[in-house]
Amino acid sequence: MGQAVMSALFLFMIKYQDAMKTGIKGFLIIAMIATAGCSSKSAVTPTDSGTDSSSSMQGGSSSGTVSSSGSYGFDEWQTGPLGDVFFDYDSSILAAEAQSRLTQNAAWLKSNAGKSVVIEGHCDDRGTSEYNIALGDRRAVTAKEFIARLGVSASRLETVTYGEERPFDKGQNEEAWAKNRRAHFVVK
Amino acid sequence: MTIIVPDKGSGTTVVLVLVLMLLSFVFISPSLHAEAAGEYIAIRKQGAGKVALVLDRSASKGSKESGLAQNLDAIIKDGLIFSDLFSVLPPPSNIRTGGDGKGSSLNFGALSSVGAEVYAGGTVSRKSGKVNLGMEVYDTFGTKLLMKKTYTGSEDQLRAMGHAFCADLIELLTGKKSYFGSKIVFVSNKTGSKEIYQCDFDGQGIQQLTNFRSISLTPVFSPDGTRLAYTSYTSGKPTLYIRSMSDNSIAAVGKNGVSVDPGWRNGSEVATTLSFEGDQEIYLVRMDGGISRRLTNSRGIDVSPTFSPDGKLMAFVSSRNGMPQIFIQDVQSGQTRRLTYSGRYNTQPSWSPSGDKIAYSTWEKSGEINIFVINADGTGLKRLTSGVRENESPSWSPDGSMIVFTSNRQGGKKLYIMSSTGESQRRLLQMDGEQMQPSWSLFR
Repeated sequence: MGQAVMSALFLFMIKYQDAMKTGIKGFLIIAMIATAGCSSKSAVTPTDSGTDSSSSMQGGSSSGTVSSSGSYGFDEWQTGPLGDVFFDYDSSILAAEAQSRLTQNAAWLKSNAGKSVVIEGHCDDRGTSEYNIALGDRRAVTAKEFIARLGVSASRLETVTYGEERPFDKGQNEEAWAKNRRAHFVVK
Repeated sequence: MTIIVPDKGSGTTVVLVLVLMLLSFVFISPSLHAEAAGEYIAIRKQGAGKVALVLDRSASKGSKESGLAQNLDAIIKDGLIFSDLFSVLPPPSNIRTGGDGKGSSLNFGALSSVGAEVYAGGTVSRKSGKVNLGMEVYDTFGTKLLMKKTYTGSEDQLRAMGHAFCADLIELLTGKKSYFGSKIVFVSNKTGSKEIYQCDFDGQGIQQLTNFRSISLTPVFSPDGTRLAYTSYTSGKPTLYIRSMSDNSIAAVGKNGVSVDPGWRNGSEVATTLSFEGDQEIYLVRMDGGISRRLTNSRGIDVSPTFSPDGKLMAFVSSRNGMPQIFIQDVQSGQTRRLTYSGRYNTQPSWSPSGDKIAYSTWEKSGEINIFVINADGTGLKRLTSGVRENESPSWSPDGSMIVFTSNRQGGKKLYIMSSTGESQRRLLQMDGEQMQPSWSLFR
């Protein structure tokens, strides 16, 4: 039941993104907290102080960013062992689900000590490209720093920003844009 | 006010005549406004009419010369039309009295009757393998010679010769150096990957400058044109390179993290965003790629530096308050103030060569991206584009009279130009693929 409510909620959020940003956000957070109890994982508990749980727009597990496996961070573009994380519009803040995914990525890296990763920062192609290069850098670095804080050596974590240069989905709609706002993990 | 008059003739007389001519514009012609504005004469105010000019066919003897003359006439005509300062009129049939041969003279009455304010005409000849273009310019009301000058070059330099005349004529009438001879450097994905190209100020003479088959971005010429700064992914990461245009030697900014989006400060330093310290901050780097010093110090993205002509002030984009806005920093003191308050997403600042204005783009609520101009003190905000999708990456012509930018108003991203007040918006060049991130050189 929790999943269904979350799905409806996410679709609603996409449709009324602007309105949500101004006023409906509070209601949604309450709703998400209410539904979190029936969900399999604790979706809204921040694991890192200083992050903003209210920006967990990308957390919807029914969105197009998720493959048939149903697991956040894996889709047709992510075939490696490490899932990607997604960001809100013009944001490099790690939402709860992104933090959860990064924690799992960190655990995998700890048990695969010989492996290193390239974390690619990507943006949707709205806005302007120079700023998006910097924003993509910020997304990749934010993901890297989160994993490093969990005990993975920073020397195994390389970052590169592509800004809006290499979109995953070339569509011009919120679903495509949401897929493109990501830190993409490539195991070397 | 100083007006430099080309060789020949009496300088003081010509200046006097010019002043009288400008006065006569004020009193006689309703479409022309001439007024002292700072150091130059603004002959054409915003929305005011153009200078009505009769461009005569160049005289020549011999079929070879005749062909050269036709080419030169076309180059000059295109150059004058491009400037958007002139209505170029065809010569009236009775333009000369006393026949076509020697002893004929210009029929100023006929020129005035077709509304011409200025007459320009020349002769083309050849001597020891060189082409000579002798040009004369008359004020048709005062029937006075304003300018007489000969341009010499080889047969493959006709464009440079014709444009040298256009530049002289425009400088004579406006008191300002023009953009003839300047280049525009830009990015295109024509080959399938983003490479850097350059073209002349008028979109002619397209040349591919890189063939990296990677992603190359944000090219900018140094003020003297001897170097090109750009970002490229050839190493796998976005890295800033400074390339010498004379020997193609390259210096890289070899820091970890990004080094993107360069802006020249004077001729000797480049400002760029580096993230090797964890945050995206703007630094000054030297010609050898080494870091000179850090300029910004704020949490969040700092990007897209552009400098006042004296190099003392830097405008840049910062997300220090949340959404990206444009700030101005005093390079010496580090003192910073916010420039833009209208619009929630303001990026891509470009400081005008005259130093008083900054052009930038706003991503508006409607979804459009539009180009705005604002005075460096924050007053005088003006929107230059509207109702035509996304208009980005403004860059000023070296004389400040025009702005080149990217627009997808007709589908894919292409390069456009407009006057610095937003008039006469038109395509700059025809080229396959998309074109973006144009930067107009300061040299010419």
